[in-house]
Amino acid sequence: MEMSSLTWLSASYHLPATYSCRVPMSSIASARALPAPGPATVRLALIRTGIEAFGVEYVQSDLFPHIRAMPIHIRPPERVALTSHVLRAYKVEEKTQETNEAPITREVAHAEGLMTIYLQVPASSRDPFSQVLSMIGYWGQASSLAWCTSIESSMPATEECVTPLRLFKSHLPLRPFFSCILSEFRDPNITWNDVMPLIGGRSPNPLHLDVYVWPLIEKAQHGSGKLLVRQAFSAVQE
Amino acid sequence: MHEQKTSPIYEVSFNVRVAWQAHSLSNAGNNGSNRVLPRRQLLADGTETDAMSGNIAKHYHAALLAEYLEAVGSPLCPACRARDGRRAAALIDQAAYRNLTIDQIVRDCGVCDTHGFLVTAKNAASDGTTEARQRLSKHSLIEFSFALALPERHAETVQLVTRSGDTKEEGQMLMKMTARSGEYALCVRYKCAGMGMDTDKWKLIVDDERERERRHSATLKALRDGLLSPQGALTATMLPHLTGLRGVIAVCASTGRAPLYSALQEDFIAHLSALASESCRISTFETIEEFHTHMRALIETTRPALPAAWEHHD
Repeated sequence: MEMSSLTWLSASYHLPATYSCRVPMSSIASARALPAPGPATVRLALIRTGIEAFGVEYVQSDLFPHIRAMPIHIRPPERVALTSHVLRAYKVEEKTQETNEAPITREVAHAEGLMTIYLQVPASSRDPFSQVLSMIGYWGQASSLAWCTSIESSMPATEECVTPLRLFKSHLPLRPFFSCILSEFRDPNITWNDVMPLIGGRSPNPLHLDVYVWPLIEKAQHGSGKLLVRQAFSAVQE
Repeated sequence: MHEQKTSPIYEVSFNVRVAWQAHSLSNAGNNGSNRVLPRRQLLADGTETDAMSGNIAKHYHAALLAEYLEAVGSPLCPACRARDGRRAAALIDQAAYRNLTIDQIVRDCGVCDTHGFLVTAKNAASDGTTEARQRLSKHSLIEFSFALALPERHAETVQLVTRSGDTKEEGQMLMKMTARSGEYALCVRYKCAGMGMDTDKWKLIVDDERERERRHSATLKALRDGLLSPQGALTATMLPHLTGLRGVIAVCASTGRAPLYSALQEDFIAHLSALASESCRISTFETIEEFHTHMRALIETTRPALPAAWEHHD
C-alpha cells in the first residue's frame, strides 16, 4: 500500500429526509438510531459505492487496501432529532407458513446541517475516492437518503467528530455528550474475503465493537423523542 | 435488432411537496381499541410534525408495479404473482426453489428486481434436518423517504366514528380517528441503472434491453400513479383529496447521484434548479398537469443506462 503523500478529503452530505442507522447490538424489535453513521458503515459504503463506480476488480486491488486502514473522522450534523416509531413487522412461521404481525419500534432521525466525512487518502488516489464519496447516496438503511454537496481538501475538525471513548481526552467532562456503541473493522489488515461476505455471503464477523462519544449534547426531550445539538468537546468546561 | 428511440438515464430523483386533505394514510397504530394514533416525527428544529412512513408508500408502489408488469407480460415470480411481500424469500422453502440463485430471481421477476429482496443465510441443523443456506439479496432500486408535514401548514381533526364489535353482544363501539390535512415534503430516488443487474457486483443479468425498458417504464408509471392517486392506509373510507403537487424531477444521465433536497425548505426548487448541468437535467413543476407531462416524457423517451462499472465485467 502506498503511504507517501497522504491528503485529507472532506465530503459533506445533506440528509434531505429522515434516516435510520441502527446502533450495533440494538434489537431489531427495538432498534435505536445513530445520529450519523459509524466508521465501519463509512468503510462499507466506500466499498459498495466503489464497486458501482469502478467494478469489483479495481476496488479489490486498488481501493480496498486504503479503505480498510485509512483514518476516518465523522462530524455529525448540527442538530439531530431522534423519534421512536412503532412499525408493523411480519414473521412467517417456517412450519405452518402462518403470517404473524407484531409491533416493533425503530428510532428515526431528522437532521439540520451537513454531515461531514473526513478520509485520509494517498494523493494519487484522490480522484477515485472523490468520485466514490460523491456517489454515496445513503447511510445505513437504503431509504436513509443522502446527497453529497461538496468535496474539499481539508483537515478534520476533530473536536467536532465522533471519537472512541478510549481516546477521549481525560480532562474533559464526558457526561453531557451522547455516547453509544459503534462498529469498526477489527483489523487494518483485514482481507477482502473477510469483508465481502457482509455484502453478499457469510464469514466470521470482520467487525469489532467499541464505545464512542459524539460531540452532541441533549438539548430537549419531546415525548419519546430527543433533540441533540452539536458542540465541540473542548467547548464544555469542567 | 432493437431500435433505440430512447435515451439512457442513470438515476432519477423526485423532490416534491404534495398537499393531501382529510387523510389518514399512515398511522402508528392504536391505543388498544378506540383511537387511531397518527404517526409523528420530531424535526431537528424542535417542532413535532405529522409523518407518513416510506414503508407504506413502497408497499403500494410494489403492488401497482406488479399490476403494470403483468399487463405487459413481464415475468413475475410465484410469490409476487400472489402479492406476497416477502418476494423471493417466500419461495426458498419450496423444493423447486431450494437452489435459487440471484440470477434466477432477477431474471424471472420484475418486482424482485426493482424492489429488492432478502433471503437470509441459515446454518445447517446439527441433526441434518435442514441444510445450510447462502444469503441472497438485492437492494431496492426505488427508495421513499418519510413524507413530513410542513409544521405551519398542517392541521388535524379528531373524528368520532362508530364501528361494530366483534360479536353481537359487544354492539356498537365509539372510536376516534384523526383526519389530517396539509402539505408534505417527500423525496423519492429511483436508481434505474440497476435494473436487471446484480447490484452487489454490478453485473448485468437481464441482457434483453426491451425487458429492462418494460420494467423501467412500469416503475415510472407506478410512481406517477402513486403521486396522482394517493395510496396508503384507511383509503377505503378516507381517500385523501389531492389539492397540490409541486417540485423538481432531477435526471442524472450518466454515472452519479441525482440531487435530493428537502422540500421542507421554502427555497428547495431554487436550490435544485441551480444544479442543472449537462449530466443532470432539472425539471420543475407547479401543478399536477406539469408533473404528468414530465412523467410522460420520462416514460416515453428514456431507458435505464448501463453503469460504467459494467465495462469492467466480461
